[in-house]
Amino acid sequence: MEPIIKVENFTFYYPDSQVPALAGINLTVQAGEFLGLTGPTGAGKTTLALALNGIIPNFQGGRMGGRVMVAGLDTAKTPCARLAGVIGSVFQDPEAQLVAEVVEDELAFGLENLAVPREEMRQRIGAALEMVGIASLRHRSLRELSGGQKQKVAIAAAVALRPRVLVLDEPTSELDPRGTLEIVALLQRLNRDYGITILLIEQKISVLAPRVPRLVCLNKGRIVADASPRQILAQEKLTTELGLEVPPVTALFRMLRRAGVYHGDLPLEVDEGQRELGRLLGSRASRA
Amino acid sequence: MPGKSFLHKLNPLTKVVWSLAVITLAFVYQEPLPILSLWASVLAVALIGKVLREILPAIRGLIIFAAIFFLFQVFLIDEGQVVFTLVPGTGIGRITDVGLKACTMLALRMLAMTSTIPVLLATTPPKDMIVAFVEKLKVPYVYALMLVTSLRFIPTLQEELSLVIQAQRAWAYDLEGRNIIKRFLALIPLALPLLLMSVQRARTMAISMETRAFGAGPRTSLHTSTFQLLDIGVISSCLLLTAVLAVVSLR
Repeated sequence: MEPIIKVENFTFYYPDSQVPALAGINLTVQAGEFLGLTGPTGAGKTTLALALNGIIPNFQGGRMGGRVMVAGLDTAKTPCARLAGVIGSVFQDPEAQLVAEVVEDELAFGLENLAVPREEMRQRIGAALEMVGIASLRHRSLRELSGGQKQKVAIAAAVALRPRVLVLDEPTSELDPRGTLEIVALLQRLNRDYGITILLIEQKISVLAPRVPRLVCLNKGRIVADASPRQILAQEKLTTELGLEVPPVTALFRMLRRAGVYHGDLPLEVDEGQRELGRLLGSRASRA
Repeated sequence: MPGKSFLHKLNPLTKVVWSLAVITLAFVYQEPLPILSLWASVLAVALIGKVLREILPAIRGLIIFAAIFFLFQVFLIDEGQVVFTLVPGTGIGRITDVGLKACTMLALRMLAMTSTIPVLLATTPPKDMIVAFVEKLKVPYVYALMLVTSLRFIPTLQEELSLVIQAQRAWAYDLEGRNIIKRFLALIPLALPLLLMSVQRARTMAISMETRAFGAGPRTSLHTSTFQLLDIGVISSCLLLTAVLAVVSLR
């Protein structure tokens, strides 16, 4: 099957920059995948997101090489408006990405731009709000909403356009831990129940690692790792180099591994670690 | 906001017609008393619309503005009988009866004209204004959107300003100098970060709009702007009343 995202040898320089923001990127994503993307600040994560939704090079100028294909469309040759129905985007700042005053109108914005008839628009707004689980907020003023609720509105506004892919650029960076978990759980649901391919850019590895099957790490404009979170977090040199915030429980088991005490899979969450630790202590006790 | 009073239910353009009628009459009337009653009628409309309390601060600001207007003008008119002199025996600060009347007229006229604006804003959600302007007056959507988006950003900007002030205070930056020039110069370190933040924010918003097909071509609208029977009634009575009052007072 044709992959939904295919980035081929993509290189991009921002105007007046001698250093490439992205260099020789190759990335293939199959429809229905849930992909995590991480890396230090300035690694090129946002640039990659902007290349996927066509902002680069249609809106943001610069020098580029290679090609980005999304759902069979070459993003450099397709107007942003056409891509809007294929790939939805959510950004970091919940305040700046919302244009309307009322939730319903925010969802209507994209549909109005695509000249969707009024009746169909109402129905699609309702459906998108249901999918995101915020149907009760429909007539609320955006000003009254919390940061997490605003991000859900931004997600619903993207979902209303029925995209096949959602790209989210650090959507939880301004949210508290609970809001963060809610957003990630919502994205998992959209991925599982509606088959939307999700690309989540995220710095909080402890949130991301247990929830995504595949993690891509960027550093200095290059992909330096593309594997399961377990495999990536096992590489001490890599995680130190990237400054990845390794979950403490994972770090503990890494130490146990180094000491030759533990040989199983690295746990990514506390529950898992507790279970493994219990098993480890149990087996030692029975041996003694 | 919707459904609070009949004023809220009116089409935004109906309220604009009312506002224009008040402005017309303010120019037609040449005596203080009719203008005073015109202003009273505007406040009465606000009272019926249940927004008088809400717009009171705005009205107070307009009164102060009108008073300053009055003071600036009243000393400049030489015609007529002198009724008062600020420094007796000299010509400094002389007020004449003609000047007094003319300036009272000016201040009242300004008050009556501008008082309709807070009433309009307090009873109309900005998005209704956009829809009415785009649909009925054929204003290009981009202009209407620009206006409303800038209105939406005012509270955000206020929040950011207080953030910047706090940050500058934390660096022991003096914002309360006595010297007026120093105080003015002190604004620059506040304005600059605010401006940069706004530019950044505008860029994010532009990108966010771009990813939602902004400017794709002809667009539809979720809401529609309609004139009810009530609107037609209000518009025709506004026009009729203005015409009658104008003819009576100009005769």
